[in-house]
Amino acid sequence: MNRLCLILPVFAVLAAGCATMPASQDRAVLRARDQVAPAMVHIRPVREVFRRGEREEVVVVGSGFIISPDGYVITNEHVAGERSTLVRCVLSDKEEIEAEVIGSDPFTDIALLKLKGKPGQTFPTVRLGDSSRLEAGQTVMALGSPHGLARSVSLGIVSVTDRYLGGSDQERAPYNNWIQTDAAINPGNSGGPLVNLRGEVIGVNARKLTGADNVGFAIPINIAREVVEDIKDNGRVERSWLGMTVQATTSITDNPDRLGVVIGSVDPYSPAAQSGIRPGDLILAVNGHPVHARFEEELPPVRKRLADLPVGETATLSLDRGGSMMDLEVVTLEKSEMRGEERALDAWGCTVTEVTPEIMARARLTERAGAFVSGTREGGMASNAGLGAGDIVLSVDGEPVRNLAHFLELHEEAVDSGRELVLMDVKRGALTRFVLLKQGGSAGAVAPGFDG
Amino acid sequence: MLQTATCIAIALTQTISALGAMPTGTVERAHERVAPALCVVNYGLERTNPATGQVDRSSGSTLGLIVSPDGLVMVRGHMQIENLQPFNVRVVVGQGDEEQDYPAKVLRKPDNVNVLFLKIEPPTPRTFPHVTFARGVSLGLGEPVMAFGLLGDTFDNARGVQGRFIGSILDSPRRYYGLDTPVPNGFIGGPCLDANGRVVGVVGYDLTREQGGDLYARAGYPLVYQSDLFTRYIDNPPSETELTESAEDAWLGVFTQPLTDDLARYWNLPAEGGIVISTMVDGSPAESSGLQRGDIVTRFNGVAVRARQDRDVLDFTKLVRETGVGNEAEVHFLRDGEPMTLTVTLVPRPTAAADALEFEDDIFGLTVRDLTTDVRIMLNIGPDVEGVIVRRVKSGSWADLAQMRPGAIVLEFGGIPVTNIEDFEAAVERMAAERPAEVAVFCRVGQRTGFFRLQPRWPAE
Repeated sequence: MNRLCLILPVFAVLAAGCATMPASQDRAVLRARDQVAPAMVHIRPVREVFRRGEREEVVVVGSGFIISPDGYVITNEHVAGERSTLVRCVLSDKEEIEAEVIGSDPFTDIALLKLKGKPGQTFPTVRLGDSSRLEAGQTVMALGSPHGLARSVSLGIVSVTDRYLGGSDQERAPYNNWIQTDAAINPGNSGGPLVNLRGEVIGVNARKLTGADNVGFAIPINIAREVVEDIKDNGRVERSWLGMTVQATTSITDNPDRLGVVIGSVDPYSPAAQSGIRPGDLILAVNGHPVHARFEEELPPVRKRLADLPVGETATLSLDRGGSMMDLEVVTLEKSEMRGEERALDAWGCTVTEVTPEIMARARLTERAGAFVSGTREGGMASNAGLGAGDIVLSVDGEPVRNLAHFLELHEEAVDSGRELVLMDVKRGALTRFVLLKQGGSAGAVAPGFDG
Repeated sequence: MLQTATCIAIALTQTISALGAMPTGTVERAHERVAPALCVVNYGLERTNPATGQVDRSSGSTLGLIVSPDGLVMVRGHMQIENLQPFNVRVVVGQGDEEQDYPAKVLRKPDNVNVLFLKIEPPTPRTFPHVTFARGVSLGLGEPVMAFGLLGDTFDNARGVQGRFIGSILDSPRRYYGLDTPVPNGFIGGPCLDANGRVVGVVGYDLTREQGGDLYARAGYPLVYQSDLFTRYIDNPPSETELTESAEDAWLGVFTQPLTDDLARYWNLPAEGGIVISTMVDGSPAESSGLQRGDIVTRFNGVAVRARQDRDVLDFTKLVRETGVGNEAEVHFLRDGEPMTLTVTLVPRPTAAADALEFEDDIFGLTVRDLTTDVRIMLNIGPDVEGVIVRRVKSGSWADLAQMRPGAIVLEFGGIPVTNIEDFEAAVERMAAERPAEVAVFCRVGQRTGFFRLQPRWPAE
């Protein structure tokens, strides 16, 4: 009964499509589908998540596509990444096969997997296109597993070739604009290909606008290709960090002759701050290469140019400061992971992460130290002591916490010692306080004098 | 627990009404004296959506109590809270043929008791009927009291009296008397009299945050606000804009937490107790006196300090507040278990955000406030950041078009550094004179800074 309900609307759509679509385009769509469909992968990874102060494992569903005969697969980082414990894939011929995560990049939401095939096994592959040559209005199709429904195809056009997504997406995906399409993209399409009528993959489907109809977004394949090369070579993408944000020149003036990009903010203690860069400066060139962003769509390439500077080396930024030109030298640092490692402390009932530069800035810490509480379990020792998500533990029993690893050590030592009270020095926002955690009193404790 | 039990017992065994328990003639005499001092306050209310700056207007009416012959009126505090501002306030005094309608101005709301004062502005001076509060009266459990109020619009706001018994006595954070059963809405803010006809306080439902309750948090259980809580405002009414009262409150500049039994045990401290300094505010008297975070204050200005539970912390705040600005207080404390003493000179409590002056620019559509100490703490902004915080953005304004939002801190306006609202006002005035085609505004949003560009269209000169 269910199956019928699902199939009937599909017939209706196909019938309508046949009536309006010219036969030549219909054939082109089928040809393009045939070139990509065999290389499609339905991915069901087991992923670790930390919520409510505990570590859990959940099964997620996504899509991917094979790019080499030896079994490299591109998908989204939010489908299968560092936190995936087991990656199960189903190929187009319904063969089930496990894959290994070779590397992933949260900043572009790209992950590279390798299928664990039998010795000598080869896989069908897709052809990658050139996303820089896309045009709005061009017919494209999305392949994948929307809501877990494998082998689905949806058809549409490119709505916009270079959509800039601001807000929190700007923090999560700062280095690319997005291909916007009206081809239906739903949860489960993530990691699947966006394909042109020549049968070339021109994007990796990754986002949809909720509350809207058919507003989906794909990562341009040229960005994905570069990330995949880096991961193949180094297992990860290395980027430089200067500790500043850039804005388009329209944020200060409408004058089209004003060149460069505007420095919006400079993080304290960052390389940019140390080299004397100030908000309001205009960067005209990076190592002699001119940079310019009049509109915000032009910002991702500028951010990428800055991130692509070699880590630990000196770069020269040519600036316009209130009309006077100057060159400043800045030594880059490596951009750290977005979130850092997360761990669950079962005995205390909380989860903790590394203090990232972002957390450090928000808490106004003068040095990167401590451990960040990401969640607490209701009724656990940490929660009972008044510890909560968002707290930063600065010291345990008087000993300053250097980093996450050190905090884990101090936690283990405290648990092993069995001492009743553990004092933590905790910071949240501008306020600090003392949190006294009461250990023990839990199951397994034997009352004195009890002789069975 | 014991008090609750007692209270129930009284409710069950009392067979006569509270009014009936009054000596003969008491109720009539009290009514004659108090009812003329009751008045009806009609007002408009502006409710500002802090996110959009959009203002909704509504009207309302409440019971007022005239507390001085020159027309000082006390009303419940809910008429004026954050984002809610009364306007066009009118007070109706007397009933029937003697009814008179006067405009009134709203005085600065006291910050430690949830009442508001109005001043009637009659066209020609007159003497108003008023109540005089008895001070320092304590009530006993089960004692009958009279509550006076209005019967509401449908009964032409006729004056009425209801009898209640004192059903509970609360000792913390300071002494309150609870009535045994709820009172109708028209009686809130009305006078409460004891069996001797003394006006001992007013009936209210809520405590302010500083009294240990969130606004509305304790709604449903009526309390007698004793006259001692507000008589100082009657003796010395707050002005229309200036903060007279809070400026006199003394400030130490620390956040504290209770020294729980467990903490005392952990630190191996004697059982006498104290209060733990958990956070030191930048640039506070505590900081300059040499007090440190982690110090345990045991004695302050000669008064022993003991805080074992969260609510005890309020007693310390009150103690500091009432020690007096400019006074040198001796602080006894423990540092690493060693007793130590030092002297701290108290300063006036810094202005709170809710009391900070606002400037509304009618060109760009921004309403800004000075960065007050409490906002700095709430947003974790260091002393190095100077600017004004955007409170409202007028819908459809140039600022709205530039996507400026409340909460942004303006650091520079059109290239002019802004450290306070005077600077901001001057910068706006300068822009109005220079009429530039675009104005770059440098702001701090969260921990980041950035630019917004305003493109005003100036009217033809």
